[in-house]
Amino acid sequence: MSTPARHKGGEFRPGDRYDVPARPAGGGRLFYYLTVRITGLLLAILVLGHFAVTHITADVAETGSDFIARRWGSLLWLLWDWAMLTAAMLHGVTGVWIMIEDYTPDPEKRRRRQRLLVSISALLFVLGLVVIAATIL
Amino acid sequence: MTLAQALFVVALIGVLIAVVGFGFVMIHSAARSGGGGSYLDARLLRRLQRSPKERAEFNRWAFYAHRFTGFAVFAFLCLHIVDVSLYAFSPEAFDEVHALYGWTPMRLFECVLLFAILFHTFNGLRILAIDVADLDSRASRRLFAGTLVLTALLGLSGSAIIMAPVLA
Repeated sequence: MSTPARHKGGEFRPGDRYDVPARPAGGGRLFYYLTVRITGLLLAILVLGHFAVTHITADVAETGSDFIARRWGSLLWLLWDWAMLTAAMLHGVTGVWIMIEDYTPDPEKRRRRQRLLVSISALLFVLGLVVIAATIL
Repeated sequence: MTLAQALFVVALIGVLIAVVGFGFVMIHSAARSGGGGSYLDARLLRRLQRSPKERAEFNRWAFYAHRFTGFAVFAFLCLHIVDVSLYAFSPEAFDEVHALYGWTPMRLFECVLLFAILFHTFNGLRILAIDVADLDSRASRRLFAGTLVLTALLGLSGSAIIMAPVLA
């Protein structure tokens, strides 16, 4: 591929070729793409609904442990929160994973950061699952 | 302020520092990758003065804003999972920490969070619509205007409701 044909002033003109920064090798792009979009669509409903219930229909000061106890008495809300937790973690990890790929050119560093991201997120996800499971049991 | 509350505040400040730091990483990285940086320099100002039809600039700013709000919401989510999980271990500790959510500075934070979530949601749905319906640049620009209007309207009215108890 040729180097960018820059004109005076450093601007690109239509038809100019330019080098695209190399993407790390390996598949999985379709998996990222679908994961982000499917979970994103779910989260549009789940998160805005969650925010509306905890800030708009009730004042945030009134959403203490009584509020949670009342809400988690219903299996539907438990299911809502479980789905939200799962979708949010998948969406967030995939998003930050790609940000790390974009901003970390050194492959060794990139792997380390991605491993750290997955470890912390997995830990938080399990913590959330334990809390939901503890309520059911 | 109890120990649990102090820990929450420290963690929240940590989240904010991480978000600001991420902003610097984004700006630094964007300025490094040629074709015009993200700094508000003469070249960028000249480009922004062109007719809207001629520039697809908004797409790039939409991308930056989407990425930034996404990172910020995820950073807060990590803290939020921990503070809600206190409920299962000790409802009293949960209530202690949760009392902070009604504190005026925290309410302001929630308003900012609402704006971030709204922008990220509507812009995300816009991106999905562009791919699914194969929209052209004019339609996607209109949807972006819709994203900004919806974010502003719902964000402002939501913020009014969130702030009402402490303003009254």
